[in-house]
Order: sequence, then structure tokens, then C-alpha cells
Amino acid sequence: MIADRAVTGASARVTIDEIVRLGFTHVIAIPDSESRLLCEAAAAHEQLSYLTPCREGESIAIAAGLWVGGAKPLLVIQNTGLMEAGDALRGCGIGPRIPLQMLIGWRGYAGASEGKQPVDSAYPYTEPILDAWQIPYEHLMSNDDIGVIATMDERATRTSKPAAVISGWRFQP
Amino acid sequence: MMERLDVFRALADARTDEIVVMTMTATLQWPLVSDHPLDFDFLAFGMGHASDFGMGLALARPERKVIVLKGDGGLLMSLGSLVTTGQYGPENLIVLLLENRTYEMVGGQPLPARVDFVTLANGAGIPGGGATGNGKVERIVDLGTFQSGLPRLLDEPGPHFVVLPVRNTHELPAVNHTDHSGRVRRLRDALAVVGPGPTTRE
Repeated sequence: MIADRAVTGASARVTIDEIVRLGFTHVIAIPDSESRLLCEAAAAHEQLSYLTPCREGESIAIAAGLWVGGAKPLLVIQNTGLMEAGDALRGCGIGPRIPLQMLIGWRGYAGASEGKQPVDSAYPYTEPILDAWQIPYEHLMSNDDIGVIATMDERATRTSKPAAVISGWRFQP
Repeated sequence: MMERLDVFRALADARTDEIVVMTMTATLQWPLVSDHPLDFDFLAFGMGHASDFGMGLALARPERKVIVLKGDGGLLMSLGSLVTTGQYGPENLIVLLLENRTYEMVGGQPLPARVDFVTLANGAGIPGGGATGNGKVERIVDLGTFQSGLPRLLDEPGPHFVVLPVRNTHELPAVNHTDHSGRVRRLRDALAVVGPGPTTRE
């Protein structure tokens, strides 16, 4: 559901600072227009290794290998890519209980929240898909929500299962 | 064309402390020649993604070689992984492509006949590519060359992408793969990874 709060989009710099503070070692991203600034900040940060594979299923499998090997990856993908990558997420995350952590761009949210028609079909299926896969998620809509990344991290680590944060708005500087 | 089990025997003889990730029919035959804590059965972990998983392992563990045994049908499911290997593939990654030109695991349906995996890997930028510019692509067609080349493959910086034309004339053991989280737990234990992991069976 759409978060009922003032929205501005989170700062890429603040988000990356939080990702580093939580000890993530790798950011594996398929860039999209909403996450562009976040990806640029991740690529520029000296404490993060930044990779851009070709497709989200690939990203998920790379992240799984990184985690099994002892690293702590964060996936940055769009909801459309999440839908493409269902088998990889099932096989490399949910089934074997690999705690993949995903920052998911919510394509369609901005338009839907502004009442634009037609609604982007990527928008309404995002949360139901995560619900169906029993992947817990929080909303990152502004810097006020930055703590949801730590919540995701705690949940994934405690349960050894995938967890997610959905970002509704374009990242700001 | 080489007998796949002979390829596996040669590799098992040469292998010391490398991680071996295998998928599809390789998961049925590799255990016939190897019982090693650093063997990882990727079957059911995501179709086509064994070498992606291996690349993640290799990036996380630069001190250790990671060998991936995957099929040509699986590669067709994730061709982008060649490009990613050409861009980021670490020196310690060795992908052995078991080229049998069929989807053997699901009945032996033929692959598109004209596809050339060496050309694809070359075009993806693996030769001279990878994280340190040491990527290599080769095709090895006979067992003697494979055996004599193994010390080099296991020693030289890569990433290596090696196409191995194989056939299988042996009866395959039955598929009996369970406890996916247990496989993860065992490999993390073998690698002495510190930190929480899956603690219960699915």
C-alpha cells in the first residue's frame, strides 16, 4: 500500500552511509532511473565493491555466492527485475535460506500516487509478490525512514531468509 | 569428444583445495569421483546461474580457486553471465563448460545447433578481460590435453572459460537432492565463515 506520509525520496548519500555503517561489502545493482544517484554513490564509495551484472537473476546468484563465501552483499534492483528473477530468488535465497537483502525500486509508485493513468502494471504487483514469497519488507520514502535498512538487515540475519526494502521515490543527492 | 566421467576423474585427481560448484547432471556424476567438503551441489539453486554463484564465491574468497562445472544448456539460460565474467570475473574463477549440445537433465533435447560457445565468450570480452585483464577462453577436445593442461588452469590467473565437448555413456544415478540449506551450511563451515547462517532444514 502507498505510505501515508510526506515523501521526498531518500538521499543517496545518507542511504550509502547507512549501508556502509551496517557492514555491507558489495552493492550489486542493475541501474534504473530512480536508483541512478544511489548507484553512483555506491560506485564511488571506497569501502564498497560495486558490480553491475546484466540481469537480476544473475545478480541474485552472485550475491548468494558472496554471502556463502562470507561477504555481505546488498542487491539494488527494480521491481521489474525482481519479477524477472523469481527462480533465482527462490533457488538462491528462499529455498536454501540465504539471507539476501534487496533494495527494490518501486517502479510505478510515483505515478500511481499522483493519480496518473494508466497505472504502471509494475506498481500493483510488487507488494503482493513479496507477500507471496513471504519476504518481509519496509518502505524507504525519505531520510526519516533510513532505519528500515537496519530493520531489513536484522530480520534477514536473524531468520536467515531474504528481506527487502522498497523505495518509492527517486533517490535524491 | 571426451567421456564426461573421465574428465571428472582427471579433475578430481588434480584438485586440491579448490571449491567445486556443480550443477545439473554434473551433480549426479561428480560425487562418483569426489567426496570433498568444498564440493557444492548447486542443483535447484536457480537454473543457469551456477557460474554466477561461483563468481560470487570467488569474489568473496580471493585466496581460493573456484571451479564451476556447468552445462551448455544452462549457459544459454544466462548468457549475460559471460559479459559479467568479461567485466568482473576474478582471477580465481574457472568455468568448465560441459558441452554436450543437449538439455541432458530433462531428456536430451537438442540445443540450437549453430551456437558457438567459444565465439560467444570471446565476444563477451573474457579474453584479456575480467577484473585484472587476465581472462582466457579455450576449447579442449581430448582428455590428454585436458589432463596435461590442468596444472596450468589451476595455477594461472583467470578468469578461465574452458569449453569441454563431452558425452556420457554411463548410467546416471537417480536425482536425490534435498537439504538445500544444509549444503550452504556445510560449505560455509568448510570455509570457516564466521557469522550466522541457515540453522534449520527447509
